[in-house]
Amino acid sequence: MNGDFIALLPKSPFATAQASGGHVPRLEATTVFAFHCAAGVIVAGDHRATAGNIVFSDRTEKILELDRHSLLGIAGSPAIAMEMARTLQTSFDFYRRSQLQPMSQPAKMRALARLLHDNLPATLQGFGLVAPIFAGVDGVEGGRPSIYFYDPMGAQFEAAAFAGSGSGAGSIKSVLHFLEQWSDPKPAEMPLDQAVTLANQLLMTAAEYDTATGGVDPARGDFATVKLLSASGVRSILADEQAGYWKDKVSR
Amino acid sequence: MNDEPYRWLEAVANRREYIRDQLKGATPVLAFSRPEGILLVGVGSGNSKVFEIYDRLALAALGHPVDIEKIRQTVIESAHMEGFTRSPEDVTLRRLLNFSLGPALKTSFEQILSAPIIVECVFAELGTKVGQDVLARVNFDGTYRFENKGVVVVHTDHADETSAATWLREQLTDDMGVGAVRQLALAAWRALTADKPFTPPTTEGAGEKATPAELGGRVIECALLDRRISARVRYRGLEPAELS
Repeated sequence: MNGDFIALLPKSPFATAQASGGHVPRLEATTVFAFHCAAGVIVAGDHRATAGNIVFSDRTEKILELDRHSLLGIAGSPAIAMEMARTLQTSFDFYRRSQLQPMSQPAKMRALARLLHDNLPATLQGFGLVAPIFAGVDGVEGGRPSIYFYDPMGAQFEAAAFAGSGSGAGSIKSVLHFLEQWSDPKPAEMPLDQAVTLANQLLMTAAEYDTATGGVDPARGDFATVKLLSASGVRSILADEQAGYWKDKVSR
Repeated sequence: MNDEPYRWLEAVANRREYIRDQLKGATPVLAFSRPEGILLVGVGSGNSKVFEIYDRLALAALGHPVDIEKIRQTVIESAHMEGFTRSPEDVTLRRLLNFSLGPALKTSFEQILSAPIIVECVFAELGTKVGQDVLARVNFDGTYRFENKGVVVVHTDHADETSAATWLREQLTDDMGVGAVRQLALAAWRALTADKPFTPPTTEGAGEKATPAELGGRVIECALLDRRISARVRYRGLEPAELS
């Protein structure tokens, strides 16, 4: 017994794509991002899922809690990304329960990389691309939260200050870079209320130039999905709390 | 020698006697369905006795540590495969016992030429309210019964086990917190292991101030399937501060 849940499955759920040719509608385009703030790591995302130029849903949850100490922001094909998240959730729980200790953060990241690599056939055929961001806390290493982003083939890269993925991530990364370089306070120094408000402002900025980013409209009470990861674990910042921060911080 | 029916029966009887003999000396584990959730209590000497199984499922067991591991791994695998294939809501104690653990234990018990599984245990499934909790007392031969009176004691002597459960039900009141219930459990544990009368923890000499030294250097394990939290995973080990 080695605590490997995926090995129990009759076959890898992500290595079976055989389709060739033809047009497959792609459910993609998203904006998810993460950045360090004074309270830990903010992981946020919009709510829109699209199929081509069709808005498929404005109620999609893209920031998924894998366990109490790790978050996945999904971008790309939702069907495959959500199944990856579900597989990882079960794998992490299975390991913790069967081995009587939590899985280390490097092992969690390796598990995600393995799923992405197994998904290579679907990625290469153009309908199953997934490019997630991962945020985790490793208790063994003192509990500092860290952010990683992945390429669709499974390579992982640690982000020093922020990471983003999806069609609106370019705008957001530009703004975060600017703020990290020239603002005071920098995002990494911002208290929670300011960081949460910034997350909503970033998504509204991205939505200005990317039709596939949406579902965030504070005037209507629609806020982003925002989760805080700190040494004590994951905390969801619910809409009511975000509304309070928004009212305090945004004057216009 | 086992191809004749009466010899087979004799072998099974011998096996039963052997397992009971091996279980002697194992110390009790207890489970309580309470308003806060399901409290599981065990007192171990190095090896754990209380375990998380699934989001709302837990196990407390006594017996050979290797066999407890076998049981635990079997149920954890079944629960996670079911939860992944269908949904976490489909992982129920009744289904796990009926279709996974029960048959496996029975088959193992009746394979008289293989080493027996030396385990007695209680499984707990948290419901949304007390009346929906499920407690199941499982025997080494694969038989089990569901307990609907809120208390399960697992002990090697079944008469003492029943007496302890009856006494505990008489002592429990609705306003007791998990700390008080834990002290009551330790009082029953001490009475069972010392073969003495049951004494409430508020009277002198009972388990109210039980320390590892008073428990023979053993470690008290307490876990709660917590009804009060909204998280998906309800199992958590209880820290001493929460039990004072």
